[in-house]
Amino acid sequence: MSQVQARFFTENKKYLIDDVPFSIPAASEVADLSGVINKLLEAKNGQDLQDFLKVIFQKLCGIYYLETWDKTEVVEIEYVEKFTAPQPEECIMHDDWISSVEADSEWILTGSYDKTARIWSMEGKAVMTVAGHTDVVKDVAWVKRSFSHSLLLTASLDQTIMLWEWNSERNKVEARHCCRGHAGSVDTVAVDPTRTKFCSGSWDKMLKIWSAVPTVEEDEIEEPNRPRKKQKTEQMGLTRTPLMTFSGHNEAVSSVLWMDAEELCSASWDHTIRLWDAETGEQKSTLTGSKVFNSISYSPLCRRLASGSTDRHVRLWDPRSKDGSLVLLSLTSHNGWVTAVRWSPSHEHQLVSGSLDNVVKLWDTRSCKAPLYDLAAHEDKILCVDWTENGLILSGGADNKLYTYRYSTCVSDAGA
Amino acid sequence: MEWYKDYPHIGYDLEVSLLVFITFSVRSQDIRNTVGNIPMEWYKDYPHIGYDLEGKKIFKPIRNKDELDEFLDKMENPDYWRTVQDKMTGADIRLSDEQVDLVHRLQQGKFGDVNFNEYEPAIDFFSNEVMIHPVTNRPQDKRSFIPSLIEKEKVGKLVHAIKMGWIKPRRPKETTPQYYDLWAKEDPNSILGRHKMHVPAPKMKLPGHEESYNPPPEYLLSEEERLAWEQQDPEYRKLSFLPQKFACLRAVPAYSRFIHERFERCLDLYLCPRQRKMRVNVNPEDLIPKLPKPKDLQPFPTTQSLVYRGHSSLVRSISVSPSGQWLVSGSDDCTVRFWEVSTARCLKTVEVGGAVKGVAWNPNPSICLVAVSYDDTVVLLNPGLGDRLVCTATDQLISSYEEPEEVMDQSVQWAVAEGEGHEQGHRLILKHPKTVRQVTWHGKGDYLACVMPDNGSSLQVVIHQVSKRRTQNPFRKNKGLVQCVSFHPIRPYFFVATQRYVRVYNLIKQELTKKLMANCKWISSMAIHPGGDNVICGSYDCRLAWFDLDLSTKPYKVLRHHKKALRSVAYHRHYPLFASGSDDGSVIVCHGMVYNDLLQNPLIVPVKVLKGHTITHDLGVLDVTFHPTQPWVFSSGADGTVRLFT
Repeated sequence: MSQVQARFFTENKKYLIDDVPFSIPAASEVADLSGVINKLLEAKNGQDLQDFLKVIFQKLCGIYYLETWDKTEVVEIEYVEKFTAPQPEECIMHDDWISSVEADSEWILTGSYDKTARIWSMEGKAVMTVAGHTDVVKDVAWVKRSFSHSLLLTASLDQTIMLWEWNSERNKVEARHCCRGHAGSVDTVAVDPTRTKFCSGSWDKMLKIWSAVPTVEEDEIEEPNRPRKKQKTEQMGLTRTPLMTFSGHNEAVSSVLWMDAEELCSASWDHTIRLWDAETGEQKSTLTGSKVFNSISYSPLCRRLASGSTDRHVRLWDPRSKDGSLVLLSLTSHNGWVTAVRWSPSHEHQLVSGSLDNVVKLWDTRSCKAPLYDLAAHEDKILCVDWTENGLILSGGADNKLYTYRYSTCVSDAGA
Repeated sequence: MEWYKDYPHIGYDLEVSLLVFITFSVRSQDIRNTVGNIPMEWYKDYPHIGYDLEGKKIFKPIRNKDELDEFLDKMENPDYWRTVQDKMTGADIRLSDEQVDLVHRLQQGKFGDVNFNEYEPAIDFFSNEVMIHPVTNRPQDKRSFIPSLIEKEKVGKLVHAIKMGWIKPRRPKETTPQYYDLWAKEDPNSILGRHKMHVPAPKMKLPGHEESYNPPPEYLLSEEERLAWEQQDPEYRKLSFLPQKFACLRAVPAYSRFIHERFERCLDLYLCPRQRKMRVNVNPEDLIPKLPKPKDLQPFPTTQSLVYRGHSSLVRSISVSPSGQWLVSGSDDCTVRFWEVSTARCLKTVEVGGAVKGVAWNPNPSICLVAVSYDDTVVLLNPGLGDRLVCTATDQLISSYEEPEEVMDQSVQWAVAEGEGHEQGHRLILKHPKTVRQVTWHGKGDYLACVMPDNGSSLQVVIHQVSKRRTQNPFRKNKGLVQCVSFHPIRPYFFVATQRYVRVYNLIKQELTKKLMANCKWISSMAIHPGGDNVICGSYDCRLAWFDLDLSTKPYKVLRHHKKALRSVAYHRHYPLFASGSDDGSVIVCHGMVYNDLLQNPLIVPVKVLKGHTITHDLGVLDVTFHPTQPWVFSSGADGTVRLFT
C-alpha cells in the first residue's frame, strides 16, 4: 500500500501537535486520520481525548488525487474539532405552512400561512396565538424581550406590519400598532440593533423604516379622500406611518437586515443586494448577482454576507469590498432553490441553509465542497430557518412542521 | 503539210487527224456525205448514213460481222491494226504506211511534216539596243511625262485618311522573336489531370503459406474450422480454398478452381473502376450554420424548481399577474386556482360552473381582474390579490358603471355577479351564444377578445369593452375556423389565426393588412413578440413557425423540434426568449433575439428542452407562459400540475 507524507496543522492552540510530517496510508479515511491525531494528542497530553473526535479538512485535497500524486511532496492537512451532529429535539405541528421563525433563548415565534403568528415554549408547547392579520403572515421578529412584557412584529401579505405587546405573565397579547404604507405584501422585517426601529421590505419594491417604540397616539394618515370607516372597524391597534422610505430596487424586496445601527442591507428579486445608510437613506453600494435572491444573512463574526437565491448555491459575499461584487465562495449541495440562510450567532465559520429540496444543511465555510450535516427531517419545502444564541437550529416549511435541533456549541469554547 | 500553210494550226490530234484522212479518202473515191458535222448516231436507225452530192442516199455498207468474225479478223488479218472505220460512210479503210507514220508522229507530239525544223534560229525585230534608225518613229505620249491625276487623287485620299486617324500607320514590328508558351496556364505544382485520374488495375494477392502444397501445420484447418468453413457462405469465406498438405509436389492434383479463378480475375480487371469519381469533400459540420452556444445565451430556464400541485384534472390554461407575484390556472376540474409564484402555495380556489378553457390576467397593473372562460361563459374575477387599493379600485370601477339610455341589442349578455359568486370574486358574467375557447386581453386592459370556434359562422370572434360593457363583432364573416386571436402589443392591429393562415387586421382602418401563410396544417397557438414585428405560431403538425412581419408573409424559420403536436407558444416580455409546449410532455425554450436593425434577421437558437410533465391521455403540456420579469417559464400539463422552470 502506498504511503503519503502528511503534515497536520491546526489553528486551535489547544490541540497543537509537533510539526513533523507523518507517513500515512494513502487510502486513509477521515476516521483513520482522526485516530492518528487522537493518538498523537493522547501521547502528548497524557489525557484521554476520546470525546474529541476530529474532523479533518484537506487544504490541498491531496488524498483524492493519489493516482498522479508526487510521492515526495508533503500533504498539508488542517484538522479542527468535530462537533456532534445536531440532535433533533422537538417537532412542533402547525395548522398551515410555516413562513417564518424567530427564536430567542426562551420563546419561539413563528409566522404561518393560517394568518396567525404563534409563540411556543422551547419544549414545543403552544403559548400564544397572535391573530389579527387578514392574510398570510410572511415574517415575524422579536423587538424586545423582557421578563413580562415583550414586543413582537408580524408582517403580512395584507400589506401591513403589526406591532404586538405580549404580556407573558397574564398571557395576553395586544395589538399596539398597525403599520400601513406598503402597497404590496410585506415579505420581510428586521429590527435594528438598538431595538427602537425596524425596517420592512415589500413586494412594492420599497424599504420602509418605522419606529418600534409603542406610543399611545395615532400617526396622521395623509389620505383624506379615502373612506376610512371600513378599515377602522377591521383594524387592530393604532395606525403607524413610516419614518423613511428607501426606493431603489427594481423588483420585490425579499430580505432585509441591519448590518449595524447605521447600515441596512436588502436583497431583492432584481438580482441585487444593496447597502443603505439608515440615517440618510443613501444607497451605499450594490452587489449584483445573476439570480433572484431569496434570503440573506450577515455574520458580524466573519463580516460576510450569505445569500440564498433561486438556484442551488449558497453564496458568500464581502459587503465591504468596493472593487466589484465578487462571490467569495459558493456552497453547492442543494438540489433546489435556497430559500433561507442563517449564520451561526456564535461560530464564525458555520451557517445553516434551507432549501426547496426538503433538506436543511449545516455548512462550515472551510469545507465548501460538502456540508457538515444534512438535516433531512422535513417532508416538504423548507421556507425558514433560524439559529439561536444557545445553539438551537430551527426550521419550518410547507409540511406544517417546525423542527428544532440541539447543536452542541464547541466543546473548546465551553472548556475555554 | 503545205495545206496548212495558210492556217494558224498545223494539225490535229489523233481522232481529228483520222477524220481528216477519212475525208481525204472519201474525196478520192468521190463519195461525199453531205450531212455535215453531226453526231452520226442520228442515222443509227436508218438504212442510209447520209446523202451524196447529188442528193442520193448513201446506204450503210452491209456489215454482218459478229463478235466471232471480229475476233477471227483480228487474229487472221495482218492489217487489222491499221484498219479503221469511216463513220461518215461506214466503210473500213486500210491506212497506208505514210498515214500510219503520220499518226505515230502526231501521237508523239511531233510536227506532221518530217522536214519542218522547229528550232530554227530566231531573228529579233526589236532589240534593247538603241538603234540609229528606230523601227517606229512615233513621238512619246504626253501622259508618260505628266504626273497622273487619278493617282494624285488616290494619294490625297490616303493622306487625308491618315490625318483623320482612319488609317493607322503600320506598327513597327517587334524584332524579338515570339514563342507560344505551351505550359503557361498550368500550375506547376498540380498533378496533371491524366495522372490524377490514373487508376491502376487491382493487383492479385500473392500466394501465401496457405497456398503451399506443404503448408506449415498452423495453416491447416482443424476439423471444426473446416466444418465452419463449409457452412460459411462462399462470399464470406476468408479463404476460397482449403489448405491441403501433400507429401510431395508430384502428388499435387490439378487445381479444380483454376478456370473459375481465372474468370474471376478477368472480371476483376474488367469491372475495376477506370475513372476516379470526383466527390466534393465537404465536412458535414461546416454545413451546419454557426450558432452561438446556449451557454453564452444565458439567462434562460434550465431546471424545474417548483411544482404547483392541487388540480385534480388537466390544467388547460395559466396566466401570470403583471407584477409576477401570482399565477392563475384554470383546470378541467371546474376550478380556478391562484398561486403564490415564489412558494407554490395555493392561496385561493374559485369554483366555476364548467371546465375552464382559458384564463387571462388583465395586463394593466392598475386593474386586478382575471378573465376566465368556461362553456359559453366568460367570468371576470377579482382575485383580491396584490395591492388592496388596486383591488378596491377595480371593484369601484365595475360598480360605478351606469346603464346607458339606449339599450343596444347585443349578442352577449352582461350580468353582474351577486351573492355567493360575488363573495368568491366573480364580478361580471358574460353569456355567449357559443362555447368560448380562448380569452385574451388588450395591452391597456379595457378590451377583451373571445374566440368561439365554429366553422363558417359569422360570430367567431367578439371584442368586449369592459368599461362600457359593450360587445362588438369585428368581422362580418370569418373565413375558416378561428383558432386563436391576439392584440398587437403597441399598434391597433388584431391577429386572427385560422387553421392555416394568420390574418392581421387594422382595427382603425377596418381592413386586412396582411395574411400570413403558416405552411402547416392546423395552427394551435400564436404569440406576438413584445416588439410587435414578429409572430410565432405553433401547430398541431409539430411545427413552430416564426414570422417576421417586415420580411415576408411566409415563415422566416420553421422549427420542428417537438415530436408531437404543439399546444402553446409564448414570448418573454423582456428577455429574448420564447417557449413552446407540446403533447410530448416537453417545453422547448429558444433564444429568439430580434434586432432593431432592419437588415439583421432574428437570431433563433434552441437552448433547452425542459421535461417534467407526465403524459396523461396522450396529452403533455397544455399551456406555457413566461414570468413577466424573470427568465422563468411556467407550464401546465395534463397531469394536473403547473411547473416552474428557472
